[in-house]
Amino acid sequence: MTQDAAATSSRRAPTGAPIVVVRDLRKRYGSLQAVDGVSFEIAEGEVFGILGPNGAGKTTTLEMIEGMRPIDSGSAIVDGIDVQEDPRGVKARIGIQLQASSFFDELHLVELLELFGHLYDRQVDAAALLADVELTEKARAQVRTLSGGQKQRFSIASALVNEPRVLFLDEPTTGLDPQARHHLWGLVRQIRERGHTVVLTTHYMEEAEELCDRVAIMDRGVIVALDTPQRLVDALLGRGFTKVRVERLANLEDVFLDLTGHDLREEG
Amino acid sequence: MRPFGIRLGMFWALFVASVLMFVRNRAAVFFSLFLPLIIMLIFGVLNFEGATTIQLGIVDEARNAASADLIDGLAAFDYIEPTSGSRDAELADLEDGDLDFVLVIPDGFNRQPGVESKLVAYASTADPAQAQVGQGLLQQAVGTALFATAGGGNPPGGAFAPPVTFELVKSRDLGYIDFLVPGIVGMTVMQLGLFGVAFGFVHLKRTGALRRLFATPTSPAYFLGAQVASRLIICAVQVAILLGIGIWFGLQMFGDYASLAVIVLLAAIIFLAVGFSIAGWAKNEDQAAPVANLISLPMMFLSGVFFPRDAMPDFLASITQFMPLTYVNEALRAVVNDGAGLASLGPELLGMGVWAIITFVLAVRLFKWE
Repeated sequence: MTQDAAATSSRRAPTGAPIVVVRDLRKRYGSLQAVDGVSFEIAEGEVFGILGPNGAGKTTTLEMIEGMRPIDSGSAIVDGIDVQEDPRGVKARIGIQLQASSFFDELHLVELLELFGHLYDRQVDAAALLADVELTEKARAQVRTLSGGQKQRFSIASALVNEPRVLFLDEPTTGLDPQARHHLWGLVRQIRERGHTVVLTTHYMEEAEELCDRVAIMDRGVIVALDTPQRLVDALLGRGFTKVRVERLANLEDVFLDLTGHDLREEG
Repeated sequence: MRPFGIRLGMFWALFVASVLMFVRNRAAVFFSLFLPLIIMLIFGVLNFEGATTIQLGIVDEARNAASADLIDGLAAFDYIEPTSGSRDAELADLEDGDLDFVLVIPDGFNRQPGVESKLVAYASTADPAQAQVGQGLLQQAVGTALFATAGGGNPPGGAFAPPVTFELVKSRDLGYIDFLVPGIVGMTVMQLGLFGVAFGFVHLKRTGALRRLFATPTSPAYFLGAQVASRLIICAVQVAILLGIGIWFGLQMFGDYASLAVIVLLAAIIFLAVGFSIAGWAKNEDQAAPVANLISLPMMFLSGVFFPRDAMPDFLASITQFMPLTYVNEALRAVVNDGAGLASLGPELLGMGVWAIITFVLAVRLFKWE
């Protein structure tokens, strides 16, 4: 945990101007009110987490902000642009990693990145993007031949072709083994160091603690808490909470990583 | 460059991607290019024509005992396949290449020696070498038939004037390859539209690749435009390959390529619209497959791709004449086999136009991105 903890301490406080402003977002599917009045602001340069169990409305909230899903009511403004008025203007300024992202099977990674570059009307340095996500050797491979972690990293590379003001990651580590997850965390920190704002959803609390400056906890379509991870924990303790078991100095994941190493295990 | 506000770079990138995706998809290439080629080669090699018989049209203007005897005598030769009819009908068949000769038995024909020389046969110019052999065979057959019916008046092998004078009629000799290739071209355009679009598109829809595409600022119009443009280019290449191989196999092209291109383009529009209708409606490949087959299989066998529709029972022919591929095949054959121009293809172009409108409206109605 030491290397992760060191990175955590270097977190900036959310002092920048808001780059994402969400006001009273709502979305209904039939009888289900999936998102029921969600409001928050995200500061520039911040890593903002949306946490919650499956079905809490995280992905729907994200997709409404991204312009991928129509908004029933409320508003979302990204980098000064109202997504309902100009969804393509928003899409041009953001990068999106979809939860189940798939690409054209017959094209290799460089071709895909160049194609995506053209969709933003810009030339891309595919080799540099692949180097950033450590997929240089896979430049001529097709996406279907990649491992789960490699796929997620490529998906992030594809979301970075337009040097986005805000990068949206929807459950980026779901389904990955611990090594691949830690590797991806490192990548997210690098992206943040370069000044990109990152919004991610997750249902791994550890991931949120590792990466996020602030987290919004969602349940049944509403935000039930929004603050820095530390202050949320402090508030809980302040309410007199004590853990039943004594805090262990290591957990099973530490054992797993100690025995199997931090190195990535990826085929090919 | 943005002429008329169109982002050419974006369109070009999507177009190239679309072509690459097709060319690298082995199943798509196999079903839309190699399968028609293989079918063409198999049918081309089999060659259903009987080359050794003489297709003889007989015009009996005498209608007497002598002419009836001559016709019976000719029918007795197993290398002669006689048909009979009016002078105009038989000559029209000769010009179309359906007959090798037309023998006219003139009014007042009788079996008196010397009279038989008034027999006139019209010969096809389509295949000079074969016509030469045919003329000899026909002279011999008529002579023998006359000798037999004349009751031995002239000794066989004796010096008698050839009984028939020949006149050459400019005509086409159409082989099975001439029939087959336009049909295969029509079928290939249909397969490309139906299968080349529907399956690829449904796959992109189901896997979420399409959704990923629309997480960028591109618009669906660019994607659809690139898909259509790439399929039209691929279609042109396929038709060129099929025609080239057809011509190598002896296909004769009597029409002009511009008319052919217009018909192929109309056909491509119809079947691409059908393909996009299926692609837009289906949620996955399992839904798309039966519908695509249900549409393509009847047309493949009932729209005259491999066999002439004349052979069908009347009720079937009267239904299948309205199928889109029937219009396409008939128009293609009119151009390739008869040298018809677009001006003389009114009914076929009307039929294709109506189908193009129907399928386009259907595609717009059924199309869904997700």
